[in-house]
Amino acid sequence: MSSQFTPNNPLPQEAPTPREMAVFSAEVEAEIDAHLAKYPKERSRSAILPLMFIVQRERGWLDPAGVAYLADRLRLRITDIWEVATFYSMLNTKPVGQYHVQVCRTLSCKIMGAATITEHCSKKLGIKVGETSDDGKFSLSEVECLGSCGTAPMLQLGFDYHENLTPEKVDALLDQCSRDEYEFKVKVS
Amino acid sequence: MSQELIKVTVNGQDYQVAKGARLIDVCREKGHSVPSFCYYADLALQASCRMCLVRIEKMPKLQTSCTITCTDGMIATTESAEIEKARRGMVEFLLANHPLDCPVCDRGGECELQEMVFDWGGLEERFTEKKNAYPEKFLSPIVANDPQRCILCKRCTRVCDEWMGEDAIEAGGRGANTVIGTYDGWLNCSQCGNCIEVCPTGTLLDATYRHQARPWELSQTVTTCTFCSDGCQMSLGSRAGEVMRSVARDRYVDGINGEFLCIKGRFAHPFINHEERIKTPMIRYKKGGRLVPATWDEALHYVTEGFEAARSAYGGEGFGVVGSSRITNEANHALLRFAREVIKTDNYTATDAFSLAPFFKNLGAPIATHKDIRNAKTIVLIGGEPEELQPLTGRYIRQAVRNGGAQLVIFNNTPIRLKEQAAQFIHINAGTEDAVVFALSTGGDADLAARKLGVEASALADARKLIEETAGDIVLLFGGELSGAAQAVLAQLPAAFGAREGRRFLFHPLPIYNNSVGVQDIGLMNGRLDAGAMLAACGESVHALYVAGSFLPQHLAGREDALAKLDFLVVQELFETETTKHADVVLPAASFAETDGTFTNNAGQVQRVRQSIPPVHQSRPDWMITDMIARARGTEFDYQLSASRVFQDIARNVAAYEGMRYPALKDESNPVQAKHAIASGADVTSQMQTLRRKVESLIETNDKAQATPPVGHELFKPGTLTKRTPQFLLLDAGNPKPPTVLISPLYQLTVDPNLRRATVNATGD
Amino acid sequence: MFIGAIGCEPLQLRRVHLEGSHTLDVYRRNGGYEAIKKVLDGLSPDDVIAEIKKSALRGRGGAGFPTGMKWSFVPKDSPKPKYVVCNADESEPGTFKDRYLMERDPHALIEGMLIAAYALGARVNYIYTRGEYRYLINIMDAALDEARAAGLLGEKILGSNFSCDIYTHTGAGAYICGEETALLNSLEGLRGHPRMKPPFPAVSGLYACPTVVNNVETLTAVPDIIKMGGEAWQKLGTEKSGGTKVWSVSGHVARPGVYELPMGYSDMEKFIMEDCQGIANGRQLKAVIPGGSSVYIMPARDIVGKSVKMDYEGLVAGGSMVGSGGFIVMDETVDIFESTMNLTEFYKHESCGWCTPCREGTDWLVKVFKRIARGEGQPDDAQLLLDLCDNIEGKSFCPLGDAAAWPIQSAIKKFPEDFRKHLVGIAERATVGTTSSPVAAREGAATEALPTV
Ligand SMILES: Cc1cc2nc3c(=O)[nH]c(=O)nc-3n(C[C@H](O)[C@H](O)[C@H](O)COP(=O)(O)O)c2cc1C
Ligand code: SF4
Ligand code: FES
Repeated sequence: MSSQFTPNNPLPQEAPTPREMAVFSAEVEAEIDAHLAKYPKERSRSAILPLMFIVQRERGWLDPAGVAYLADRLRLRITDIWEVATFYSMLNTKPVGQYHVQVCRTLSCKIMGAATITEHCSKKLGIKVGETSDDGKFSLSEVECLGSCGTAPMLQLGFDYHENLTPEKVDALLDQCSRDEYEFKVKVS
Repeated sequence: MSQELIKVTVNGQDYQVAKGARLIDVCREKGHSVPSFCYYADLALQASCRMCLVRIEKMPKLQTSCTITCTDGMIATTESAEIEKARRGMVEFLLANHPLDCPVCDRGGECELQEMVFDWGGLEERFTEKKNAYPEKFLSPIVANDPQRCILCKRCTRVCDEWMGEDAIEAGGRGANTVIGTYDGWLNCSQCGNCIEVCPTGTLLDATYRHQARPWELSQTVTTCTFCSDGCQMSLGSRAGEVMRSVARDRYVDGINGEFLCIKGRFAHPFINHEERIKTPMIRYKKGGRLVPATWDEALHYVTEGFEAARSAYGGEGFGVVGSSRITNEANHALLRFAREVIKTDNYTATDAFSLAPFFKNLGAPIATHKDIRNAKTIVLIGGEPEELQPLTGRYIRQAVRNGGAQLVIFNNTPIRLKEQAAQFIHINAGTEDAVVFALSTGGDADLAARKLGVEASALADARKLIEETAGDIVLLFGGELSGAAQAVLAQLPAAFGAREGRRFLFHPLPIYNNSVGVQDIGLMNGRLDAGAMLAACGESVHALYVAGSFLPQHLAGREDALAKLDFLVVQELFETETTKHADVVLPAASFAETDGTFTNNAGQVQRVRQSIPPVHQSRPDWMITDMIARARGTEFDYQLSASRVFQDIARNVAAYEGMRYPALKDESNPVQAKHAIASGADVTSQMQTLRRKVESLIETNDKAQATPPVGHELFKPGTLTKRTPQFLLLDAGNPKPPTVLISPLYQLTVDPNLRRATVNATGD
Repeated sequence: MFIGAIGCEPLQLRRVHLEGSHTLDVYRRNGGYEAIKKVLDGLSPDDVIAEIKKSALRGRGGAGFPTGMKWSFVPKDSPKPKYVVCNADESEPGTFKDRYLMERDPHALIEGMLIAAYALGARVNYIYTRGEYRYLINIMDAALDEARAAGLLGEKILGSNFSCDIYTHTGAGAYICGEETALLNSLEGLRGHPRMKPPFPAVSGLYACPTVVNNVETLTAVPDIIKMGGEAWQKLGTEKSGGTKVWSVSGHVARPGVYELPMGYSDMEKFIMEDCQGIANGRQLKAVIPGGSSVYIMPARDIVGKSVKMDYEGLVAGGSMVGSGGFIVMDETVDIFESTMNLTEFYKHESCGWCTPCREGTDWLVKVFKRIARGEGQPDDAQLLLDLCDNIEGKSFCPLGDAAAWPIQSAIKKFPEDFRKHLVGIAERATVGTTSSPVAAREGAATEALPTV
C-alpha cells in the first residue's frame, strides 16, 4: 500500500490462492461495470469498496471465491483485497447472520440506554455480542456511533436504522425477523 | 553538477548542507543521533514510528525529522527534555504489547528495539496490563512469523512492494489489531527474505536458521554471493566450521545490495556443509567401475600419470582444460596457466551459459554499476529476466522507475513482471531479440525488424526517440538471447546514436553466473573451442579433459555420452554430477565459503570472496588443486599457498585488473570496477552484415508468450546447489500450504521428486 | 426530534419540512439551482472564490478552516484534473447534521458541489459517504440521476460551457476515513490511513491531483452565499465565523435535534435550558461536549451563568471547541469516568493503527480504564492516564491521536471526583479485612495524583 508510487497499475495476476472464483449474473456484472465507470480507467482500484458490498450482498460475506473474483475483476493481488477487507468494520471476512443486529454503543446512545438494548437483544437471541446464532439467522454486534444520537438508543439491522428504541420495540422487530416477515428497507446498489 | 548549499543549525551548530537534504540524514551525518524504526533510505516515507521527533523553531509541535526537508536557516534541536520524554514515551508504547522475553527471541542480540532500550537504560515498566498475544507461526517454508513482536514499522511491506514489486505481504486489520500478513496466512512470493532482513525486531524470522544459534556465537565473514552475476555482498555466519546463515544486515555488511539478497543468496547456503559434499579424492581405477576414495597423494599421483599418458599419446592438442563461471578468478587463472604452461594447449574454455566475448571486444561505453541503474533516466532491457536471474538488477530497475522516475523500455517475448514498471513494453516474437538491436542501430531497417519482431514500427520509433532525447544516463541491458553479432553491434550503439550533451550510454550485461564476467576477463573463454565444441570433440580430437566444475545441461544435451569417450577425465567438484559420472578422478573442491578469492560481477566490479570456514572434509580451493597438479608435473606457479599471490598474478596479466590488490578490494562499500577497455569507434560493419542476414532469415511468426510467469519460476528451479536446501523443493513443488501453520511445513509435507508434488506426510513426522 | 432554526430564519434547514423536499421539483420551486445559474450567467471562478472568502465560511467538518482560502490554494495552472470531494463520512460521535441535510435536501449539496467544481475547474467529483449511511447514498444517487436528467449535471450544464459530474462513493466503516487524506486513500481503494501533509490535498490529493475536500454542511452553505452575496451571509454570524451553523444535539435534553443557529448565538445556557427545553426528567445539567467527542468536555459550572457564545471564538474562550457541532448533553446521572472510557474505547476501535502513539496509546488507555472499572485501579492511575495522553498528544501522525487524548485530559481536569471515586472506592475494597491504614495512604495518593480544579 503506497499510494505515492503505485497508482494502481494493472498488475499481472498471480494465481489467486482460492481456487474457485465467484460467478455473477449479467445484471450484477452490469451493476459492477457501472461502479467501475465512475472512476478513471486506470484507477479501477477505487471501486473496491462498492464492489465488496455487492459481493457481500450476493454471497453474504467476502468468501474466498468472492475475494478471488474481486482480485480478478480489479486486477489486484489477493493480498490487496485482504488488506482492505480487514481494515473496514463493515466488511465481513467471516460469515454473518441473515439478520445482523448492530447496536450502537457510543456515548449518546450509551447515556440513553444502549446497554439495556444490547442486553435485551442478547437475551432474546441467546447469543453474546460478536456471536452468530447456530442457525445462522442472527448475528449481534456492538458498533460505534451511527449518527442517530438525537434518536438514541438505536440499532441497525442490515442497513436499516431503528431508532428511539425500547425493549418492546426490539421485541417486535426481532419477532418479525424470527418469523421471516422482516423486509429490509435499504438495499445495496 | 553544482549543488546549492543552505544553512541549517542543529543543536546550535551551523552546517552547510545540500538543498533538499532530509533533516534526519543531516543530523545523523553530523553526529547528532536520532532514533528511528520506520525510516529506511530510498523507501516510501512512513513517519509512523514517531521516534525521530525533533523540535524545529517556528513550528508548532515536535516534528518527525524523517519527513522534514531542510530549508535555509532552519534551526533544529535533537536533544532536550521534551524530546527525550517524547521518545521514551514512544519506546514505552512500542514495548507495551511487545513480549519482554528477549532471551527466547531469535532476534535477541541483534534487535533494534532491544538495543535502543539497552542504550537508553532507565526504562520503568509501567505497562502492567495483559499483552495482546498472537501465536508464532510459519508464513512459508522459509519465513517464520511472531506477530506479537511487530512494531509495525512496515519496512517489510515496503521492501516487498518497492524492491520486489511483489506486494505479497501487507498490513491487515486495524488499530491495535493491525498485523503483517497475507490473505490466507500463506506467503506465495519469491521468498527473498528481505522482509526478514529489514525487520528491526524478531517478528519475521529466517525459518531455516531459527533457534539454531545466537548471533554472538557466530563469526561473521563478509563475502560475495556465489549464485548470480549481481555479486551481492553478504555476511556468512558460521559456528564451529558450519555455515549457519547468510545475511546482508547492515550491521555486518554494506555492499552494493544494501540489505537486499534473493532467496538463493540468503537461503541456499546449506549446500556448504551438506552431507553429500564430495569428501575425499576418488579414483575410478577401471572405466565403468566405481569411484574409490583415495588420499590426495594417491589421487595426485594418478592424475599426473593419466595426464602424462594422454599428453604423450596425443600431445597438447588432444588435451582440454575447462574452467567455470562459478569459481573464483584465481581458480580460472590457475587453470588458464595450467593449459598454457603445463599442457601447452589452446583447448581451454569455461562452462558458461553464453559468451560475452563479442560484447566486451567491441565495448563502446562503460559498464553501469547498480547505482548507475538506480540513477538512470532511461533503461532499455532487451531480453533477459533480471528479477529471476539477476534479482538485484531487477530491484534497482524497479526503484529507478518508481523512486527515480526513470523511463523503462522492455523488449521481451514474455510479459515479465517488470512490465508493470515499463513506460513501453514491446512484446516481441520469441527468438527475435537480434532484430531489436538491428532496429535500433544505424543502417538497420526498422520496418523489416518490426515485421520479424511482430510489433508496430512506431513502437520501435518511439523507443529510438526516447533514447535520442534522454538527458542523463541511458543503461542498456541485455540477456543471453543476443547472438555474437548482435552483441557486437549493440556494444557500438553509442557511436550509432552519436554524442549528445548530457546524455551518457552505459551497458549492463546480464550473464547468468556469479563469475561470468570474471571468467571472460581472465581469458579462459578465449580458447580454441567453446564448451559445446569441446564436448563434441571428445573422443575425436580431445582425449583427456581436466574440468573444474561441471558442464551445464544445455552443453550435454544431445551429447550425453561425450565424456564417456575420453581416455582420461579429471573433475574437481562439490557434488557428484553428470560430469563426474565419467570421471577417472574426482577431486573435492572447496566451496566459495571455504576459500579466498574474487568474483567479478555484471557491473565489472571485482569483489572479494572470503573464507568463512575451513574447507570441509578434505576439500581444497580449486586454484590450489590446480597448483598441486602443476607442481606434481614439475611446473611451479609460485603461489606459495596464497590466494592473494594468485590475484597479483592476475593483476599483472589481465589489463583490466591492472594494479589491483586484495587490500584495495577490502572495502565492500566501495567496490572496484575493472577497467574494461572502451573500443569507441570499433568497426562492426561485418557483424552488422551478419546481423542483417540473421534478421532477414528469421521466420515471421506470431510466437509470443501471453502469461506472466509466476514469481520464482527460475529462482526455485532445483540446481546442483539449491536443491540441497529442502525448502527449495517445497517451493518448486508449488509451495503448498500445510495442514497447520504452527509447525514447519518440512515436517508436514514431503516432496516426491519425480512428481514434483508435495504431499502431506502420512505419519506427520 | 426537533429540526429547525433558532435565533434566525432557517437557511440550511429552509426546505427540510417540505413534502418531497428531496426532489428536484420541490428544490427548484424553493429557490434551488438559482445560485449555479447566477454563477454560470456571469461569475468567474475567481469571483466565486472571492464571495466565499467574503462570507467568512469556515469548514464545518471539524477543523474550521476558512473555505475560501482552501479553495484558493488549488493551483489554477496545473494541467492535472482537479477534484471536489464531499466529506459525508460523518462519524464523529454526537454528530448527525449532515445526515439530515442529505436526507432532506440532497440537491442543495449537489448545487454546492457544482459551484465548487466550477470555481476550481473540477470535472469529476465524489461524495464520500460513510457505509452505514447506505440509505443516504441511495437518496443521493436518485437526486443525482434527477439532476443529470434535467441537464444540471453532465455536459454543458444549463447550456453553458461548464461540464461536470458527481458520483457517490461508499465508505465501509472507519471513522478515520473522515480525516480528509485518509478519505482520499479510501477513495483510491486503499486502506484508510491518513497521508503525510504536506503535500496538502489542494496540491496533491485524489490520484495525486489537486483536490478540495469539504464537509457536507460547508458545501450546502455555498448556494446561499452566492445568492445572498458573501457579505450578507457573513453578517448572519460574526466577523470571523460567518453565517449559520447546524448543531446536532443529543443526550439528556428534553428536545434533542438538529438546530440551526446563527454563529455567535448567545448563550449556551439559554440554548440548553430554553431552546432544547432543558434537561429531561427534571434532572440537573452536569456536562456538555459541545463539538463532537473530540473536544474538551465542559462542566455545567463553565456554562451556567458564563454566557458562552456559540461560535469558534466563543467556544475556545469557554474552554472547548466547535468541532463538528455534535452537542452532547449529560445530566447528573452520568459518571464522567464511564463516559470518558466509552469514548476512549471508540478511539481505540477507530485508530487506524498507522502510528505508534495512537495505536498503542489508545490500546493501553482502554486497558487501564477497564482495569479501573473492574475494581483494580491503582492510586496513581489518573496520573498514568494523563501521562499517556501527554505522550500521544501532539505526537501522533494525524489529529485522531489528539482527539483521543483531549477528552481524557479535560475529563480528569474538570471532573476529578468522578475518577477519584473509582480509585478510592477500589482501594477500600482491596483492603477489606485488613486493619492497617493503606486505605488512607492510597486515598491520599489518589487525591494527590489528581490535579485539583
Ligand atoms: C479523525 C478525524 C475525523 C474526521 N471526520 C470528519 C467527518 O466525519 N466529516 C467531516 O466533514 N470532516 C471530518 N474531519 C475533518 C476533515 O479532515 C476535513 O478537515 C474536512 O473534511 C474539511 O472540510 P471542511 O473544511 O468543509 O470542514 C475529520 C478529521 C479527523 C482528524
Ligand atoms: S493518530 Fe496515527 S494511528 Fe491514530 S488514526 Fe491517526 S495515523 Fe492512525
Ligand atoms: S523514522 Fe520518522 S516517524 Fe519513524
